Amino acid sequence: MNYLLQNLETLLLLLFGLCALVGAGLMIVLRQPMRVALALVSTMIFLGGIYGLLGVHFIAAFQVLIYVGAVMVFMVYVIMLLEVREATGAKYSALLVPGIVGFVLVLGVIVIGIWRAVPAPTGAAGNGAYGISTFAVSFLNEYWLHFELTSVLLVAAVVAAMAVIKVSRAADRKGRHG
Amino acid sequence: MDRTQLLIGLAMALFSIGLLGVIVRRNVLVMLMCMELMLNGVNLSLVTFAQQTATTVGAVLVFLIFVVATAEIALAIPIVLLLVRGKRTLKLDAYNDLKG
Amino acid sequence: MLTAIVLLPLLGFVLNGVLATQLGGNRVGKPFVVVVGCGLPLVAFALAVKALFDLQHANYAPLVEIVYRWATIGDSPFEIAFYFDRLTAVMTLIVTGVGSVIHIYSVGYMAHDRSFGRFFAYLNLFLFFMLLLVLGRSLLVLFVGWEGVGLASYLLIGFWFDDLANARAGKKAFITNRIGDAGFLLGMFVLYQALGTLDMDRINAAFAFTGSAAPAVSASLVGILLFIGATGKSAQIPLHVWLPDAMAGPTPVSALIHAATMVTAGVYLVARMSGVYLQAPEASAVIAIVGVATAFFAATIAVVQTDIKKVLAYSTVSQLGFMFLALGVGAYGVAIFHVVTHAFFKACLFLGAGSVIHALGGEQDVRKMGGLARRIPITFLTFAVATAAIAGIPPLAGFFSKDEILWYAFASKQGGSPLLWVVAAATALMTAFYMFRLLWLTFLGRSRMDHEVEHHVHESPWSMTGVLLLLAMLSAVGGFIALPHFLEPQLPLPTVHESLHHFETPLLVLSVVLALAGLAGAAVLFGGPPERAQALQERFAGVHRWLSGKYFIDELYERVIGRPLVWLSDRVFLNLSDRWLLDGTLNGMGALGRWGGGVLSRVQNGSLHRYAWFVMMGIVGALLWSWRHV
Repeated sequence: MNYLLQNLETLLLLLFGLCALVGAGLMIVLRQPMRVALALVSTMIFLGGIYGLLGVHFIAAFQVLIYVGAVMVFMVYVIMLLEVREATGAKYSALLVPGIVGFVLVLGVIVIGIWRAVPAPTGAAGNGAYGISTFAVSFLNEYWLHFELTSVLLVAAVVAAMAVIKVSRAADRKGRHG
Repeated sequence: MDRTQLLIGLAMALFSIGLLGVIVRRNVLVMLMCMELMLNGVNLSLVTFAQQTATTVGAVLVFLIFVVATAEIALAIPIVLLLVRGKRTLKLDAYNDLKG
Repeated sequence: MLTAIVLLPLLGFVLNGVLATQLGGNRVGKPFVVVVGCGLPLVAFALAVKALFDLQHANYAPLVEIVYRWATIGDSPFEIAFYFDRLTAVMTLIVTGVGSVIHIYSVGYMAHDRSFGRFFAYLNLFLFFMLLLVLGRSLLVLFVGWEGVGLASYLLIGFWFDDLANARAGKKAFITNRIGDAGFLLGMFVLYQALGTLDMDRINAAFAFTGSAAPAVSASLVGILLFIGATGKSAQIPLHVWLPDAMAGPTPVSALIHAATMVTAGVYLVARMSGVYLQAPEASAVIAIVGVATAFFAATIAVVQTDIKKVLAYSTVSQLGFMFLALGVGAYGVAIFHVVTHAFFKACLFLGAGSVIHALGGEQDVRKMGGLARRIPITFLTFAVATAAIAGIPPLAGFFSKDEILWYAFASKQGGSPLLWVVAAATALMTAFYMFRLLWLTFLGRSRMDHEVEHHVHESPWSMTGVLLLLAMLSAVGGFIALPHFLEPQLPLPTVHESLHHFETPLLVLSVVLALAGLAGAAVLFGGPPERAQALQERFAGVHRWLSGKYFIDELYERVIGRPLVWLSDRVFLNLSDRWLLDGTLNGMGALGRWGGGVLSRVQNGSLHRYAWFVMMGIVGALLWSWRHV
């Protein structure tokens, strides 16, 4: 019990990490897209948990809010819109075997690379935590330019979305009358 | 093995699994979700290194990645929708018109 | 002034060539062409006479005019220079003199030809090159003239090029000449390498030394190589095949180029290089043997020819053989003497033949002539005089020169022998025979002409007959010039065996007897009814066929040289090298590129999975690469 309480952080970290991996693995294996989406949601939530354990709580909040709350909801909406059942046909593409071979290679190379040289941390993980106020102040003071550019990016996204709608409507009309 | 190596290993594993998913899965929407997984893996590595320093620069970068990922998915999915409307299937094998 | 002699015909070529032909739009009429085309050579002739007087004034020291330094290679200069001594004087006077009168003849002969201006332009071009040849000091300048006269000959033989046979004859002449030129060039290379100069007077002087100061090259080698060039130009065996075919050109061309001047360029070359040949007994022996063999061989063919110009062509080859025989036994001055007399009577004969052809409206077959003596008397008279001259009947010109050749062939210490004399004498007999045969068949006896042709027989205009009379007169009295003695200080006469001196008069009488025997034989066979000649022809039908076919040498060349060469070009060079090797390589490289592209393009099969897999492999590669520095 003492051992458990003393190393709780590390154990929780291991647990969350394992669950995230399981979720990721399920994404590859599951057949139906809805289930795949749910596996991804679980991975993301566990990642949020890891962020929290590291002390950056606001990023954890952002992870859940933005990724799960916006991105995955949108994804689920689209899956439901297209009524995808995916029951028939082969599950995997033609490149299954080469893919797995490549995957092993990539993993091996990365892991060996990390093993050999990881830059010395200035502090152990979980040491330099800071709160949202620190973050907010520096974000809007020093990095205001990046903030504005992000707004520009979002405006561009909106414009692009409207352009897509227009193009698709024009294509529809031509398809119907032509 | 200390915490940093563990976390980085986890991040890279998530990235690799996402890449594998892009290669082996046939459904276009599933491939998009795997790409999100890749982004998450990279995000994790970024956060790991970011919170070791005293400055907030890492966190800012992470936040910006959130924003960009959202904008990207907001546009990628409509594009896929339009494509699907034309070909009436979600299988990637149908979308090889640009072959050489 | 020597430069003026050379350049005046060139000016005539340019003026006539540009203004009087289709090139310049036919701007000027015939009078302009005649004045420029005939006047400029006459001026050149006058200048040549003046140069002769200048030479005499200067006590026969050679006049040298250096015009232009062409190049300096190493420490030897190559200049365009003109050289005038006794030999050059003789040749220049012949070229410009006989050339000018033939120009005047052409005014009448080519009067109705539509390319009047072009003809005179080419004739002037020929004169320019021929003068370059005889006046040149260095072998290079001579070679330029050599090639130039070959070009002019080609242009003039193929003058009526609408007929493909004429163009082919011109081509044959040029190509056969070029084969000889290979030997000429090799001779020049050898000379330059040994002596460092190509100036002929210097070369002759260098070969005058013997022993240790002698040049480092064999005189016989040089002699043989230069003689190969002369063989091509002067139609000796085995390169004689072009001269009979060259009769396809207009008759003034045959007279000027293929009788009087161009074909004697080879003789001039050997005579000019006498310094070399005096030291080359082997080469001289070869020249003598080839000369006498050619003379005999051509004379046998001439006996059975039926085209009036072909008889004269083979006669020219035969007479050239005589000239080379003289050169071969060391009698250089005598050979030049024969060149001069031959120019007179052969030009007269050719122009007379032209007059006959003109009178008969184009007929050239002697079997369709006869009985013309009364219809065209001037032509007949001049032709008869020239025939007597070539046969060697005294006191006409041919007798003097031919008799001297026969004498030196017998008695010269530098290679004369009785065998040479016997063959040469037999040739002289045949010469007299076939020339008088030609005279009888063409002019005498009963007429065998077609009726329409017979109606239109008329004497030629004065521009033609005047020239014939002049040349006949020269053939009659030209023998008294005593040219060998004039040339003796420069071209010494060969010494004669003492023991043979008492043969001189008998041999003289014998040659006259042979000439008269030829005359008699021709009179008997062809003066009477035609059945006599016919019977003889049937008796020796096989020999006749062999001779009529010119010993089938053209066919031999075609089979032995022509066909293998064509096979080689077609099979080896065209099909194998050009098509298979070169084109194949280039096309193969193209095909290789296309095949490679096809293979590589299969990477892009439109499958996003495959592209993503490549991304994965790229990541692996990049990471492995980054390990170099870890």
